[in-house]
Amino acid sequence: MSELLPQQQIDKLKAHAAEIEHPHEMIVDVLREIQAHHGWVPDAGVVLTAEILGITPVEVEEIATFYDKIFRQPVGKRVVHICDSICCWSTGGEEIADHLQQTLGIGFGETTADGLFTLLPTCCLGACGDAPAMMIGLTTYGPLTATKVDEILAKERAELAKTTSGKD
Amino acid sequence: MTDYTQVLFKNRRPGETASLETYEKTGGYEGLRIALQKTPGEICAQVKYSGLRGRGGAGFPTGVKWSFFPADQPGEKYLVCNGDEMEPGTYKDRQLLLADPHQLIEGMVIAAYALQAPVGYIFLRYAYEDCSQVIERAIAEAEAAGYLGKDILGSGFSCELHLHRSAGRYILGEETALINGLEGRRPNPRSKPPFPAQRGLFGRPTNVNNIETLANVPHIMRNGNAWYQQLSAPESSPGTKLFGLSGHFNRTECFELPLGVTLREVVQEYGGGLRNGKRFKACLPGGASSPYMTAEHLDVAMDFNALEEIGSRLGTAGVTAFDEDTCMVAVTRNINRFFARESCGWCTPCRDGLQTISWLLDKIENGQGTEDDLTMLHDQVRNINGRSFCALAEGAMGPVEALLRLFEDEIKEHIRKGKCPFG
Amino acid sequence: MPKLIIDNREVTVPEGTNVLEAAQALDIVIPHFCYHEALGAVGSCRLCAMNFLEGPVEGLQMACMIKAEDGMVVSTVDEEAVELRSHVIEWAMTNHPHDCPVCDEGGECQLQDMTVAGGHSRRRFHGPKQTYINQELGPFIQQEKNRCITCYRCIRTYRDYCGGTDFGTFGSRNRICFGRFQDGRLESPFSGNLVDACPTGVFTNKVFRFKSRVWDLQEAPSICPHCSLGCSTIPGGRYRELQRVKPGINRETNGFFICDRGRFGYDHVNHPERPRQARLDGQQATVDAALTAAAQRVRQMVEQHGPDSVAFVGSARTSLEAGALLAEWAKRTGSPHLLFETHRERDRAARILVDRLGDRACSLAELQQSDLLLLIGTDLIAEGPMAALAVRQAVRAGAQVVVIDPRPIDLPCSCTHLPVGPERLPVFLDTLVTRKTEALTDAERNPLQALLEQLDAAKTPALLGGADLLGSRGISRLLDAAVALDNNERPVRVVGLLGGANSYGGALLTRSPRDFDTLVDDIQEGAIKALVCLESDPYRECFDPARAQAALGRLELLVSFDCTPNLAAQRADIFLPSRPVAEMAGSFINNEGRLQAFEQVIEPGISIRETSSGDHPPREFSLETPGALPRPAWQMLAQVLDLPGDLPAIRQQIATADERFDALTSLTADETGPRITDPVVLPDTAPDELPQCVPGETLPLLPVQGFAGSDWLAHLSAPLQPLEGEPTIWLHCDLAVRLGLAEQDQARLTTPLGHCHVTVRTSARMADNLVLVPHLWGTALEGLVPGGRHIDCRLEKEVNL
Ligand SMILES: Cc1cc2nc3c(=O)[nH]c(=O)nc-3n(C[C@H](O)[C@H](O)[C@H](O)COP(=O)(O)O)c2cc1C
Ligand code: SF4
Ligand code: FES
Repeated sequence: MSELLPQQQIDKLKAHAAEIEHPHEMIVDVLREIQAHHGWVPDAGVVLTAEILGITPVEVEEIATFYDKIFRQPVGKRVVHICDSICCWSTGGEEIADHLQQTLGIGFGETTADGLFTLLPTCCLGACGDAPAMMIGLTTYGPLTATKVDEILAKERAELAKTTSGKD
Repeated sequence: MTDYTQVLFKNRRPGETASLETYEKTGGYEGLRIALQKTPGEICAQVKYSGLRGRGGAGFPTGVKWSFFPADQPGEKYLVCNGDEMEPGTYKDRQLLLADPHQLIEGMVIAAYALQAPVGYIFLRYAYEDCSQVIERAIAEAEAAGYLGKDILGSGFSCELHLHRSAGRYILGEETALINGLEGRRPNPRSKPPFPAQRGLFGRPTNVNNIETLANVPHIMRNGNAWYQQLSAPESSPGTKLFGLSGHFNRTECFELPLGVTLREVVQEYGGGLRNGKRFKACLPGGASSPYMTAEHLDVAMDFNALEEIGSRLGTAGVTAFDEDTCMVAVTRNINRFFARESCGWCTPCRDGLQTISWLLDKIENGQGTEDDLTMLHDQVRNINGRSFCALAEGAMGPVEALLRLFEDEIKEHIRKGKCPFG
Repeated sequence: MPKLIIDNREVTVPEGTNVLEAAQALDIVIPHFCYHEALGAVGSCRLCAMNFLEGPVEGLQMACMIKAEDGMVVSTVDEEAVELRSHVIEWAMTNHPHDCPVCDEGGECQLQDMTVAGGHSRRRFHGPKQTYINQELGPFIQQEKNRCITCYRCIRTYRDYCGGTDFGTFGSRNRICFGRFQDGRLESPFSGNLVDACPTGVFTNKVFRFKSRVWDLQEAPSICPHCSLGCSTIPGGRYRELQRVKPGINRETNGFFICDRGRFGYDHVNHPERPRQARLDGQQATVDAALTAAAQRVRQMVEQHGPDSVAFVGSARTSLEAGALLAEWAKRTGSPHLLFETHRERDRAARILVDRLGDRACSLAELQQSDLLLLIGTDLIAEGPMAALAVRQAVRAGAQVVVIDPRPIDLPCSCTHLPVGPERLPVFLDTLVTRKTEALTDAERNPLQALLEQLDAAKTPALLGGADLLGSRGISRLLDAAVALDNNERPVRVVGLLGGANSYGGALLTRSPRDFDTLVDDIQEGAIKALVCLESDPYRECFDPARAQAALGRLELLVSFDCTPNLAAQRADIFLPSRPVAEMAGSFINNEGRLQAFEQVIEPGISIRETSSGDHPPREFSLETPGALPRPAWQMLAQVLDLPGDLPAIRQQIATADERFDALTSLTADETGPRITDPVVLPDTAPDELPQCVPGETLPLLPVQGFAGSDWLAHLSAPLQPLEGEPTIWLHCDLAVRLGLAEQDQARLTTPLGHCHVTVRTSARMADNLVLVPHLWGTALEGLVPGGRHIDCRLEKEVNL
C-alpha cells in the first residue's frame, strides 16, 4: 500500500493524458486511482498526478481539496461514511452514528487504533429509501440497525483480514 | 393503489437490472430507430410539443431548451447527462439506472442526434459506484449492438459516451459547476450568460439534462406525443414522474406515478401512511430545497405548476415526510447544515450567510434563541434569497423560508420555553 | 454610447462599461470587493447591489455584472440594495478576526472602509470562526489566512493577471484559502501585487511589516528608477528611512501594478554605505566648498588645456532637470563631450530609438491591445518586467507572441520561442526588412515565413527589442523592419527596452556625436584630463570596465555627483552627495518618450529607528540632522551655474532654452505625461554589426541582464538580496553534455578578465553553443557587463575537494 500507483498504471495514464486535448479533465480520475490504490492522497500523490498530466501541483491541489471524497490526510483501510442528511436523520441516523462511534471507539474524523476504520459523516448518499444508510468504501448499506451495523463491520473486518494476510 | 402505467419502471424487478435483451423485448431502441429516420429539427420539435419538462429540479421544458441549442453550428458540441443526484431525499435517478439503464443510453443517443452533439458525458456522483458499473456495461452492450459508436444503425450518425465519476459535493449538480468539474477546474458555477448552449464544456456549445429527462425521450419517440400527454392529468406537466419516498413513511420506495397525483395519494396510498400510525405533519415535496408542504396541502396535485402556486416546488419529487412528533426547527437545521457544508464558497451570501443561518438555528434549537435571532433569521433569508451567484443558496432558503412562513409559532415556542418543545 | 440614469442623474458611458463603473463616473462609489478595474468583474462578492428600476434588466442586480445600456434607470440608495450591502459586509466579517489594533493592514484596509461604507457596525454573529494555518511564502509576502474574506482578488491578480503558476485556491465552502501548494517563496516576479490586491491583511508586505503605521508614512507620487518603462509608484518613508514602495496608478504605463524589483528595490536609498558627505581631495568638505572647487577647477582645466579636455557624463538615472543643467555646464565650458550613458551600445541604441521612434511609440496600455507581438533580442522579465505583464494581457485577449532570442525566456504567458544564437538575430532582422530568406537555414525559413504572414495579417502588431542584445545596429534594423511591415491600414508599433529610467531623456540631451568608448581613447591619450560624472560610474558601467579603469587612472580631475557608493564616487577628487529619486522632485522620460514627473517623498538623513535599543544615530550633540547633506543634483548644478536653485525656475529655464521640454513647466506627478519625440544627435561612427557574437575561437560567453542583481540600484537594496542568488551560467542541455557538465554542477569560468566560480544551469529552451551569464553586481561576474561583443570563455567542472 505504500506505493502510490503501480508503474504500469502510471504509464497508462500518462499515455492517455498525452492523447487527449485537455489533460486537466483527468485530475479527479487520477486522484481517485491513487486513492483506490494507496488509500489516500498524500502530497506526493498530488505531485504524481501533476506529473502524469503535465500540469502543476497547485492545479491538482485546487481540485483535490475541493472534493470531500478525496482524502488528503491518512485514513484507515476502510472509510465509513455515515449519512447525516435529513432522511437518515429522521429515521434514526444519529443513533446509528452514536453506535458506530461506540463500537469503533472513535469519533468523527478519527481512525481506529488498528488502522482499519475511519469514521466520517457524509451528506445524503442517495439511499434515502433505505435510511438510515452508510457507505463503506464504495458500498452502500441500509436501512441500518445497530445489529446490522455490527454484522457489516464484522464482515468488513473479515474481508480485511483475508486481504492483508494474503498480501503479507 | 391504482395501477398506473409504468414507463420508466416497466422493466424494474427487485434486485435486478434489465439487460439489453429485456430492454429490446419491451420496445427498447425502437425510439432510436424512429428518431434516426427524422431530421434533428423534427426531433427537437417533437420533444418540445410533447411537453416534457426537465426532471433535474427546475422543470424547464426540455424541447424549448433543445431549440436554443445551436445544433447546426460547426465544430465540437457536447451533450452532458447530469447524474449528480445529491440533494437529500433524492434517489430516483439511481433507481432508474439500476432498473433499466438502456433508457438513458438510448435517450442520450437520440438527444445527441437531435442536437448534433455527438460526444456525450455521463456525470455520475461518487456514491453511485453500483450505477457506474451498470452504465459501463450498458455502454458496452449498446456499442456491441450498434446502438452507440460509429455509424449507428447504418444511419451515418456516430456518437460516443464517456462516464465521469465524481468525487463528492452537491454543487456539481449545478450545470455550470458540473461543466467546470468535467474540465478539471474548480467546480464553481459560471456566470450566465453565456449559457452552456453558447459556451459550455471546453468553451463549446453544451446541453445538460437530467438522467430521468433523457430516459423519457426514447418513449416519447416510440409512442408519440398524444400517448405521452395522456399519461398524466395536468396539461402543464405531462408524463410520469419518479417519486422517491423517504422519511417517516411506512413505505420508503421509489414509485413511478403520473404527474398530478395528489399529495394525499402519495402519502396514503404509496407511502402507506406514516410510521407507528402517526399523523402527517409536513413534507419536503421535491428534495431538501423544496419548501415544506403541510397537512393543509394534502389535496394539492403534485405537478410543477400546482406546487409553485402554493409556494413550494416539485423539484426532484423526492418526498420526505415528517410526522407530528418532528421538530421542524431541527429538520430545517439539519437541512441547512447540508447546504452550508455543500456551498462551493464562491459567493458571499451562500458561503457565509448559510453559516450564519446554521448558527441561528442551532441556537434556537438548543433553547438559547431570542426574538432578535428570529428577526435576524428573517433578514438573513430575505437577503440571501435571489441574491446569490447560483441557485444553491436559493434552494437552501426553501425550507428556511417555509419554516418561517409555516412554523413561526414553533420557533417562538423554542424561544419562549428556552428549549426544544419536542424534547 | 449608452445613456442611463443613476440616482436621478444622467450619465453617458462608453460601450461595454458596467453599471458600477458608470456610477463611479458620477462619483457615486458603491462598495465592492471582487470588481477591480484591471481584473474585471466576476460577481462573486455580491456587494455592489443596485436596484434597476427601468430598462432591459429589472430588480436588484449586481451592478458590476450588468453592462450599461440605454434607458436604464438605476437606484443605488434603494432600501433593498442598502440592506443587502450591509448584509454582505456582515457575512464577509463572520470569520474575520478582530485584530485590527495590531493588523499591519491598518490604515489602508479596504475591508474596514467597506464595512463602514456598507453600514455594518454591530457584530451579530457569535459562532465559531474558521481558522487556518499560515504558510511561509518567502522574503516578500507575509500571509495571515484568518483575515481572508474570500473575495478571490489575490488569485485573480496573481494567477490570472500576472500569470503566476504557484498560487491557488484551496478547499471549498467557508473553508477556502489561498496560497502555495507547499511553503516556499512565491515565484512570480510580480508577487508583491498580492499586497495591494488583497483588500484586507491576508497578504502584507513582509519587508515593511511593523515598521510604520501607514498613516505615519510620508508618501508622494514617484517614478520607478529600475528600468526604462517608467512605472508609476508611491514610495513611503518615515524618519528619513524609505520603507516601502507601492504602485501608483497610471493607465498608460503600469496600470495598477508593479514588479517586485520596483517594489523591493527602494532600499538603495537607505544603503549604509551611501556617501552622504561632500569631499575635496580626500578631505571632508562642505557641499558649497566642493561645488565652488568643482566649478573653479573645471574652468581652470578649460583655460589651460582647452574645452576639449573636459568631458561630462550623465547616466540613465540622471533626472531630466539635472541632465539639462549638465548640458548647460558643458555648453558654457565649450566642451563637446557630453554623454548620458557610459555604455556604448546602450547609448547608441537609445539615441537611434529616440531619433526614429516617432508615432510608432507604444505605451504598455497600447501594447495590451496588440494582436501580434514579436519579441526579438529582449528578455522582458529582466529588461522591463511590466512589459511582460502587458504582453500577457494581450495574450489573454487573444494575441500571439513570437520570441526570437538565445535566452531561455520565461514569459508569464504562452509564446512561440525560436532560441537562436545572437549571431542569427541580424539575419532575422534583415529578413523582416527584405523578406529575402536566402540567408536563413532550412530550419529557420518556415517559422520566419509564417511570422511574416502573421505580421502582414495582424491588425495591431508590435515589435519589441532590447538595447543590450540588439545594440544600435539591431534597434535600427528593428525600426527598418517596422517601416517595411507597415501597411495602409496600420503602422507597426515598436517598443525598445533601454538601459534605464531616463535613457530616453538622456538621448534627447546628448549633443556629442561620439560615444564613451572613443572618449576613453582620448582619456588614455591624455587629451581629456577632467571628467564630471553625474550619477554615473564609468569604472564599471561601460562594456569594457577593465579598459576604462586603466584609462581613468590618467585623469587629472574627477568630479562625481552620486547617491550610491560606486567607484567613481569613491575615487573622485571632488565628490558631491546627490539624492535618489525618493528624496527629490524631478522628471524622467520613459522608453516610449513619456515625460513624467516625480515628487519628493522624504528628506535625506540617517534614519531614526524607534524600535532599536536607543541606538539611533544622533549620538553627539548637533544642530544638524546627521547625513542630511545630500542635495538634488539639479540644485547643485544650478549653484555651479549661478542659477536659482528652485525647481520651477530650473524647469522654466530648461523649457525656455529648449522648446521640446515645454511641458516641463506645467507638469505634475499625477498625470499620465505627454510624449516627446524629436530627432537627436546621432553617434557618428556608422553602426557596425550587432554587438555580439561573431563566433569566436572558443566558447562564446554572452553576459545578459537578470531580474535582480544586474540593476545597480536594485542590487543595493537589501530586500532584493534573496533573489540575486549565486553566480550562475546557463547552457543548452546538449552543450552541457558535450562539456561534461550537469544542472547544478559547480564550474570554473575562465575569461580574459579572470576566473570565477559559477553554478551551472541547463535548459533545452535556449540557443546551443553559447554560455549565458546573468550579470551580477558585487560578485566576480560584475565585470561581465551585458550589451557588447561576445567574450571567449572556458568552462571546467569543479571537483569538490
Ligand atoms: C445546486 C444545484 C444542484 C443541482 N443538482 C442537480 C442534480 O443533482 N441533478 C440534476 O439533474 N440537476 C441538478 N440541478 C439542476 C441542473 O443545474 C440543471 O438544471 C439540470 O441538470 C438540467 O436538466 P433538466 O432540464 O433535464 O432537468 C441542480 C441545480 C442546482 C442549482
Ligand atoms: S517594470 Fe521597471 S519601471 Fe516598472 S516597476 Fe518594474 S522595474 Fe520599475
Ligand atoms: S438522506 Fe441519507 S441517504 Fe439520503
